[in-house]
Amino acid sequence: MTAIGVLGGGPWGVSLARAARHAGSEVTLCTRRDHPALPGVRVTPSMRVLAEARLLVVAVPSSSVRAVARELGDFLDGGHVLVHGIRGLSSAAGGGTVAGAAPTPTSADDIVTISQVLREETPVRRIGALGGPVQASELNDGRPSAMVVGSEFPEVVAAVKRAFAAEWLKIEGTSDLRGLEWASALVGCLSIGVGFAAHIGATPGLLAALASRGVDEAAGIARAAGADPQTLYGLGGYGDLLASIVLAERPEVVLGRALARGAPLEAAQAEAALRIEAVTLVPRILRFAELRRTEHAIFTALAEILNGSQAEATLRRLFD
Amino acid sequence: MADEYPIFRFNAEREAIVEETVRRVLASTRDTLFALNDAAYHEARRLDGSRKPKDLAELEEWRRLARRLGRMSELERRDKLREIVEGYGWDVAGNFDPRVYRFSTSLVPSLVTGLLAPRKLATLVRDPRKLFGFDALAEKFLIDGEVDLARKLAARGTVVFVPTHSSNMDSIVFGHALDRADLPPATYGAGKNLFTNPVLAFFMRNLGAYRVDRRLRHKLYKDVLKAYSCVLIERGYHSLFFPGGTRSRSGGIERHLKLGLAGTGIEAYARTLLAGHERRVYFVPATINYLITLEAETLIRDYLSEAGKARYIIEDDESSRPGRMARFVSKLLGHSGAVHIRFGAALDPYGNGVDEHGVSHDHRGRPVDPASYLRDLDGEVALNPAREMQYTRQLGEELAVAYRRNAVAMATHIVAAAAFGALRRAAGTDDLFAVLRMRDQVTLSRDELAREVLGVKDRLLELEKRGEAAVSSEARRMSGGDLVEQAIQAFRGYHTSPVIQPREDGLALSDTNLLFYYQNRLAVHGVGWDPTAQGEPRPRTAAA
Repeated sequence: MTAIGVLGGGPWGVSLARAARHAGSEVTLCTRRDHPALPGVRVTPSMRVLAEARLLVVAVPSSSVRAVARELGDFLDGGHVLVHGIRGLSSAAGGGTVAGAAPTPTSADDIVTISQVLREETPVRRIGALGGPVQASELNDGRPSAMVVGSEFPEVVAAVKRAFAAEWLKIEGTSDLRGLEWASALVGCLSIGVGFAAHIGATPGLLAALASRGVDEAAGIARAAGADPQTLYGLGGYGDLLASIVLAERPEVVLGRALARGAPLEAAQAEAALRIEAVTLVPRILRFAELRRTEHAIFTALAEILNGSQAEATLRRLFD
Repeated sequence: MADEYPIFRFNAEREAIVEETVRRVLASTRDTLFALNDAAYHEARRLDGSRKPKDLAELEEWRRLARRLGRMSELERRDKLREIVEGYGWDVAGNFDPRVYRFSTSLVPSLVTGLLAPRKLATLVRDPRKLFGFDALAEKFLIDGEVDLARKLAARGTVVFVPTHSSNMDSIVFGHALDRADLPPATYGAGKNLFTNPVLAFFMRNLGAYRVDRRLRHKLYKDVLKAYSCVLIERGYHSLFFPGGTRSRSGGIERHLKLGLAGTGIEAYARTLLAGHERRVYFVPATINYLITLEAETLIRDYLSEAGKARYIIEDDESSRPGRMARFVSKLLGHSGAVHIRFGAALDPYGNGVDEHGVSHDHRGRPVDPASYLRDLDGEVALNPAREMQYTRQLGEELAVAYRRNAVAMATHIVAAAAFGALRRAAGTDDLFAVLRMRDQVTLSRDELAREVLGVKDRLLELEKRGEAAVSSEARRMSGGDLVEQAIQAFRGYHTSPVIQPREDGLALSDTNLLFYYQNRLAVHGVGWDPTAQGEPRPRTAAA
């Protein structure tokens, strides 16, 4: 039986803990917040207790991942496996350089992946990420879905597959960790566009055109970030976006719809209920794409949508 | 003290090392049919077309083997495999002669002189100091950085030196640096082509170098090399690898390291743990910086003509031409600080920093047990080649950072960066080959170039403050004009065509290829022009 620790008591962390428990793993959830009853799951506020498991999943917002990882790192050693389920990207630490970061020092944006943050802040090297279309609600209800685990270490992919193995959950592995992380973040952004376009009446054909162009643009951006662009066309990229088109309850889609109705950003975020990484990510990715001179028409439109621009004009630009 | 260096035991252990290597390769080769087929296929391909009788005989033998393989019993195949692997094992194994060691470490230039005039060797063996004064050498070779740390770690575990690679002089120069810095000698795998020079071969053989035949591309041979290198590290032989693989063609600092054989350091460490006698392995990065590079002209030509797909082995370059070599040495010795070797901070096999007590620390400075990285999810220490490969790749990333921080910028690099910047502006394009075609078309006044040079130097000093670059102490002291003068002097007389030519109307930028070569050293810092950077066109095959 796999022992697994989940860090973060938000809806996503709780759902992951539940899914692992359902898969028969021995689960510890580390949280300092209130949480629903979780039968069979050991709940603790202590990172020391959490670290008794060698396989750990981090499910906290990207804005706090650095501080959390730094604290957690005190209880870890090279024998741990650290996987995160964060659909976002982070920023470089002030002054710190870690290998594997941007290939050349430039004045470009300081975007780093969450796995890079984990590598900087902990002694762990075996690091991975979760991605793909699976939603918290699906994990909670045991509805069939698909998840992707990315890690350069085959050992990590195998461990995650073991810990979450369930008939209703299909788990794919990829060795392109960086690609999966960028794919998750970029598709999160594109999903806002999907919700927005759907609300203002885009036909299936137009939605498909938006999705295809969006993934192409995302692949170019991911390539500039040192990822394999092919990963964007897999389950962690295209597959994930495809699910958004149908998944009306997906938070990013809800947000996009609300914005299309003319709701202010704060109200739209409240409506989505969950924290959406893409909101702060879109302008940063746009800047990154501009500096690296990759295609960014759709991300420009997404930034406008978030700024509350006129829906009609933006849509026209999307399909120009 | 020096007599206790592990390498002094080598001759006594040689046979055991080869036997262990053979045993491991045989044990890990499960599919004998595949291994022999693969070897026969690659060897037949390599030898086909050769006219040398020896090659032809070998070719015939491989072909015969390939034909018979299917009919051979497993037992016969095992025997054949053993025969081949043993042959490779002994071919790879080196030798170590303490007398040669003491002689050669006493003076590198004598060694170099010896290379140029083999007959002088006899005289040199009697008194190597005759030709060059010991003191004269000290100021030509600067050695600094984390030398103390490396020395302390060499007493605790096995050190794997991993320097940058830009010249065939590197192994000799680095070997000398180890001696000068009171560091133990290191064994290393030298390309077999270097052994064709009888004098060089004599030294290589007797200084613990082992032979690597880069023409052999099949898995069996690579397995022998890996096992051999692993056994050496496991037994505590300090080792030297150039993780860049081949000499940098562009002149730039290596950014993507494959590590190759250096990757055996992790396996060696794991095996000592499994055997119950942990012996830690420390990687010590270093940069070897030259004011002028022996083979600059050949290397940059190769880079530009075949950008991307370098001829793997250049058989014919400046290092095979005695005249050029002599000119190079005399030129080098004419400048103080002409070779600068800087040692970086030691790393464990997972890229963690290591303190003088041999303790690993993660990026946040927490102590961490290197053995923990080898534990699987059940907590057991085990070998896992797929995992070790990833650790090695990550270590390569850390080494690239260490190189960038420890590359020492010298007058020639700084002046070339300034000059190439001026060329690029004059060309008004980002097309590398258009810039390179501007031979003899741009002339700057001395003051103009000096000003540009100061600008480049200031940017480097700024990076140095943040620990992201290093400027040689000499270059730091010099004015822009002095830097220009030193660079011109250094280029002149060594390179066959003038690089920067003083004329009546100023300084003509003549050899654009060489200016590109020398400025590439700073490209990694974003100070020189970096045509391989993202968003910029990659160099293509030259149209003209």
